[in-house]
Amino acid sequence: MNDSRLAIFSIAFGLIYIAAFYYDLALFRYYPEVGQFHFLRNDGLGVVILWYGWIATAALASAAIAFAVPKSVAERLWPGWAWIIPAAVVVGMLIYERRWFVS
Amino acid sequence: MIVVLLILHGLLAVALLGAITHQALSVVTISPAAQSRWNFVDRFRGVDATAYATPIVVLFAITVVGGALLYPQYRIDVRPALEDTQNQVANGVFEIKEHLAAIGLGLLPAYWLYWRKRNGPETAAPRRYLTWLLAFFVWWSFIVGHVLNDIRGLLP
Repeated sequence: MNDSRLAIFSIAFGLIYIAAFYYDLALFRYYPEVGQFHFLRNDGLGVVILWYGWIATAALASAAIAFAVPKSVAERLWPGWAWIIPAAVVVGMLIYERRWFVS
Repeated sequence: MIVVLLILHGLLAVALLGAITHQALSVVTISPAAQSRWNFVDRFRGVDATAYATPIVVLFAITVVGGALLYPQYRIDVRPALEDTQNQVANGVFEIKEHLAAIGLGLLPAYWLYWRKRNGPETAAPRRYLTWLLAFFVWWSFIVGHVLNDIRGLLP
């Protein structure tokens, strides 16, 4: 992965992570009470951890995007997007997570 | 074993907090001290910020991995107890912590890219704002982690 593609990976990661969280697109699920990983939902196995799966989804999809973007396009990327888009993702996430603090 | 891991996670977080705070303050643009004497803040800011970048990447990644290893215990023992006591705020701040840790993990490649020595002044802005974003993530995670770890003693 060349230099500019590292920035594309970071930009895509935040967006895809939030989409994976919001739309329940975890690559896999971990059931800690039985210590098992599953690709599909298994309601009888106790509490579930989706966080690992959201990160895996974001990492794989972002790496694919970073490799797929043509080098000429990647090198024209304005460096400001590398922090503006993740900052916007964080603001959006904080707005969504207000649900925990309002009754 | 879980206690050892929790303490190790906390110690790594302290190191990360110190490093990212040094670097975050070092990129604040303020005019140099009028007098030649440096105060505490000047000395705290006056570090070679570039030298912190790789250690911060390594510490952030290792600390998140440590948190990920601790997470199942939290999910089994702590979160249901918080839900039973209707403590929505505690669950909310922890959920934000897990999102910030994940988004921060994804930011590390860009952060490292813009802090490399051959980058010039044209990347000063992304360098500064990525550092501040990571500093916010680390401070939030540190405070929330400690409060939740001690929550039984903090709540009446």
